[in-house]
Amino acid sequence: MSVAKPNLNSKVESNNASNGASESLNLSSNNVKPTKYGYFLGCVMPAKMPWAEKATMIISKHLGLDFGYMKEALCCARPGVWKAISPDWWLSLTAQNLANAEKQGITIVDTCNGCWISHYEAIKELTEEPEKMKMVNDQLAKVDLHLKGDVKVKHYLELLHDDVGMEKIVSRVVRPLTGIRVMRHIGCHARKHDETLPNDFDEILRATGVEIIDTPYDKTCCGLLLYFADPNQAILERIGKKMKTAQALDVDAYVIICSGCYDQFERGVKIYRDEKGISFETPIIHFSELLALAFGYEPEDFGMTRCRPIAVDRFIEKVKAITAENAKKAAGAKEKGDGLP
Amino acid sequence: MSSEPKPLKSWIRLLEAGKKMTSHKQDEESILYPLRRTFRPVAPDITKGSLKRDFEQGLVYYVGDEIEDDRAACGLDRLPPTGRIYPDAVVKKRVILEEAGVFKKTAYNKKKGTFDY
Repeated sequence: MSVAKPNLNSKVESNNASNGASESLNLSSNNVKPTKYGYFLGCVMPAKMPWAEKATMIISKHLGLDFGYMKEALCCARPGVWKAISPDWWLSLTAQNLANAEKQGITIVDTCNGCWISHYEAIKELTEEPEKMKMVNDQLAKVDLHLKGDVKVKHYLELLHDDVGMEKIVSRVVRPLTGIRVMRHIGCHARKHDETLPNDFDEILRATGVEIIDTPYDKTCCGLLLYFADPNQAILERIGKKMKTAQALDVDAYVIICSGCYDQFERGVKIYRDEKGISFETPIIHFSELLALAFGYEPEDFGMTRCRPIAVDRFIEKVKAITAENAKKAAGAKEKGDGLP
Repeated sequence: MSSEPKPLKSWIRLLEAGKKMTSHKQDEESILYPLRRTFRPVAPDITKGSLKRDFEQGLVYYVGDEIEDDRAACGLDRLPPTGRIYPDAVVKKRVILEEAGVFKKTAYNKKKGTFDY
């Protein structure tokens, strides 16, 4: 694909919160120390979505963020499961991650909505209710940890939209994905408090040039937690309807951001294939992959074709075709421009 | 004839795995001691597989050889900087689980990795 290829020479440091990006983003004024972001991977991302993890790392670096991994990350702890069993247990387990982040001096960044809501709601509850803060600190003291409550939590969408800003994101798009039609699934937890994150999601997606196709299933839950109690409803009525709609509308991709939702999409697609004999063809693409492509990275820069439940070859071919067409148009326009007196 | 769809095989497998890691004699004992209050573990069988992984590795999914290869091919470190390479973090989590009473109320046997009640 012929676009201005970004510099990949300075490799993303995998286990270092400070990645030494060549261009640092000035996120704060008046000599305030720039924010150091720690990417909280959670359970699904490192085990099932390495392409999304890599794409997130490269675009964050590309945007000049001080963006590295949060070390010692454990399960977030899954709010849908743990809160249902015992809210206090959920707080205790989440507090370990929050205390570790505080110790590492990072702002936690989550791409998974489940991880984000867990961190976001736990820190809010703990700082508002001193007796709960005391309870978790009594437990954390047994493992030499302490939570003050200063740690900041951000959803990746919030980070991109508010800290980086749309102007910068738009300015970095060198390969507009015009002509790519997508359905998107933001996930329930991202819309729990208000519509800010879903709006940010759409705005950033549109900045890449894709066309978003609205459907009646956009706001339905993926069914991840429902799967435990009612697998048929979770798979047939949720994933099945979403994927069948995508197929019927012949969209190029189903874009997601939440790793928990991806886990359920992958499960659903495999169940349809193995148990129902139905193979869906619409690839499930992570939001960061689209941004990486729009910023000029190549699919192989983040291993886009690896371990996918639905092959992305057709999607990549379409992106290549669009890139070639855009290059041709640009060359034509340049030629015309050169001929002007 | 029921119009209910057949249960999904993958879900049945998950449920069976949960049952397999559970040992209890309550059904037999309830015949002998019908008035004894039965212990109801807080975790249903369907969740036990993921809880066991969480208790043992600190995460719900394991990063094994195959995914290690995929990670490397994507340009990442073979192992993520999670509890997977920080075993101390998992040890600490288990202390917190113990302190919070999770093991006791889920009837989790740390030594055997089973749910016994």
